[in-house]
Amino acid sequence: MKKTFSIGGIHPAEHKTASPTITRQPLPMTACVVLSQHIGAPAQALVEKGQHVSRGECIAQAKNFISARIHAPISGTVSAIDNVTMPNGMSSKAIIIKASPEEHRADTEARELYWQRTLPSATYPAGIDAETVRKFIAKAGIVGLGGATFPSHVKAAPPEGAAKILIVNGCECEPYLTCDDALMQAFASQIVGGVRLMLKATGAPQAVIAIEDNKPRAIAAMKHACSSLNNIKVMVLKTKYPQGGEKQLIEAVTKQRVPSGTLPIAVGAVVNNVATAFAVWQAVCTSMPLIERIITVTGDIPADQQRNYLTAIGTPISELPFTLPKECRAILGGPMMGRTAVRLDAPVTKGTSGVLLLANRMRQPAKACIRCARCVDVCPMGLEPYLLGTYGRLRLWDEARAAMVADCIECGSCNYICPSSRPIVDYIRIAKQRSK
Amino acid sequence: MQLIVYTIILLGILGFVGALVLYFTAKRFSVHEDPRIDSVCAELAGANCGGCGFKGCRDFATACVEKGSLEGLNCPVSGPDGMARVAKILGVEPVKTDRRIAVLRCDGNCTARPQTFLYDGAKSCRVMNAVGTGTSGCAYGCLGCGDCTQVCQFGAISMDPATGLPVVDADKCTACGACVAECPRNLLELRPLGRRERRVWVACANRDRGAVARKFCSSACIGCGKCQKTCSFGAISIADNLAYINPDVCKACGLCVSQCPTGAIHASFTPPAKTEKTVKEVAQ
Repeated sequence: MKKTFSIGGIHPAEHKTASPTITRQPLPMTACVVLSQHIGAPAQALVEKGQHVSRGECIAQAKNFISARIHAPISGTVSAIDNVTMPNGMSSKAIIIKASPEEHRADTEARELYWQRTLPSATYPAGIDAETVRKFIAKAGIVGLGGATFPSHVKAAPPEGAAKILIVNGCECEPYLTCDDALMQAFASQIVGGVRLMLKATGAPQAVIAIEDNKPRAIAAMKHACSSLNNIKVMVLKTKYPQGGEKQLIEAVTKQRVPSGTLPIAVGAVVNNVATAFAVWQAVCTSMPLIERIITVTGDIPADQQRNYLTAIGTPISELPFTLPKECRAILGGPMMGRTAVRLDAPVTKGTSGVLLLANRMRQPAKACIRCARCVDVCPMGLEPYLLGTYGRLRLWDEARAAMVADCIECGSCNYICPSSRPIVDYIRIAKQRSK
Repeated sequence: MQLIVYTIILLGILGFVGALVLYFTAKRFSVHEDPRIDSVCAELAGANCGGCGFKGCRDFATACVEKGSLEGLNCPVSGPDGMARVAKILGVEPVKTDRRIAVLRCDGNCTARPQTFLYDGAKSCRVMNAVGTGTSGCAYGCLGCGDCTQVCQFGAISMDPATGLPVVDADKCTACGACVAECPRNLLELRPLGRRERRVWVACANRDRGAVARKFCSSACIGCGKCQKTCSFGAISIADNLAYINPDVCKACGLCVSQCPTGAIHASFTPPAKTEKTVKEVAQ
């Protein structure tokens, strides 16, 4: 019997059709590197207009502990530090780097060399200590690549002896997305190496790589990669959304529930995404900062365009090769938790896991709540979504707080299941913000 | 007969004992409260809207009585007359305050700001603002879901179906500030009603560069500074590509209205036509 989390959850159609081979997206001529790509304080720019930067150079420093460094994804000249439009239409401060054709060619060659030679030949650094790993993680500006973009060096430094288990999240429970699946198939040994390094940093005695059973090839690759290690195991979980949620995953793996209002470390768990583990390996063994990530491009587009691209941070989303369907909805991230994008000329950030293009999928107009309580059945946090949504709609922030609105993980299961197509989680999100 | 007498005596004794208990408990646990609080409270509007900055009318009345003066305390709903009556009860000087009303700092109507996106989420400005720019590309303008109309307790704000923007009824608005606090884009501003109800304001909040702002809305303020040059009183300042008219300095001459190339400056009266003569006259 495969394990999963105990309460709630849904089974949306998977649509994981994007090809798991990773294509290298050409480097952009102009890169917009947004200064606020992570949770926490925006990074502080270290470069000035007109300054020359080389690929991989640190161009913005972490403002405080909960913040992350940012590096130049391409070589070139800083043409401006200005507001750029983000996918949601709002503006945000960014460093704009323009490359000359020569620099672009040199960068492309260096990149090819890295992915074909340097990365495959890197070996585990024997005798490395925890402090060094943490330093490398902070230096490379690594953030949680599962979507929350929480600075990883914070997670890598739990209180002494508190971490009992490191859970590596390879669930990818969101429909459509296959970027983690693709990564696990292509770079299994590097991910396992990254997990070993993170075990060192956190001081946890054992690691579990949790993968849902709808990814048999990734499971096989990861099992093969860690077969010689005793303290790293692959755990196959029953497919259920939102298994990739931190609290759900901890429950599925350890059968322990994280108490309300506490962090996972309270039950001795540290959760990291497989892509984060891979970034840690790159940072420690090849000194490569986080300047590229894998993005799934999928949805209602021709099958040969549904692919995973290794893309430099700062590349405009519209440069990715896809033909926009007519009257489509573009979503950054998965269909459940991703945000609708209104501007596709916006740059890719560290948190962009996918570009999903759905044609002619408008939500049905909301009808009256029929008190079926299906949202209560599927809520993985055991909340009463219909009630929280109503509190949000009627601006009853105190009542929402009393009904534990802060526990909501905004997974969208309630929206998905509602037969009256009520925008429940939209209201809950507002109630969550306002009742703080 | 005897039964009735006994009953009356017994009930009389019980009643007397009960009365004694009540009397002493009331003495023992009595809370002293200034009787003026009640009378001040009776004078107030009783809307409990929070426009004064207190939780409700009673809190405000308590604050008035405790402070001893009306400096910095004002119930916008009761108006100057109501505050004068409060001052009379307290035996202090009434503080003169200008009547203010809410104005909308956006003119993104359907023709000026074309709708480029379909929105199918919850019909609420707050939800819409959390998702993105709304149905047009402007990240600063009115979202048009009417959250402000819902929070107004005085029915002073209504949505104009022709423009898709809220309209403030100057007669009903009490400047309680509920709409100002509700608007997720801070588009409503409380401005003095002005002499003879003449007031001028910039009906735009877009801080993008002129070209970007104009791309999404033809009546956006582009921060060109023409109004600033026209104003003889130095009431207009420009910050982040956006003009702001200081209501304390503005004399509501209305010259800037006709100078604005995009029509972003609005006036509550018919402004003078654009002639050299009027510019000179006002300057003198």
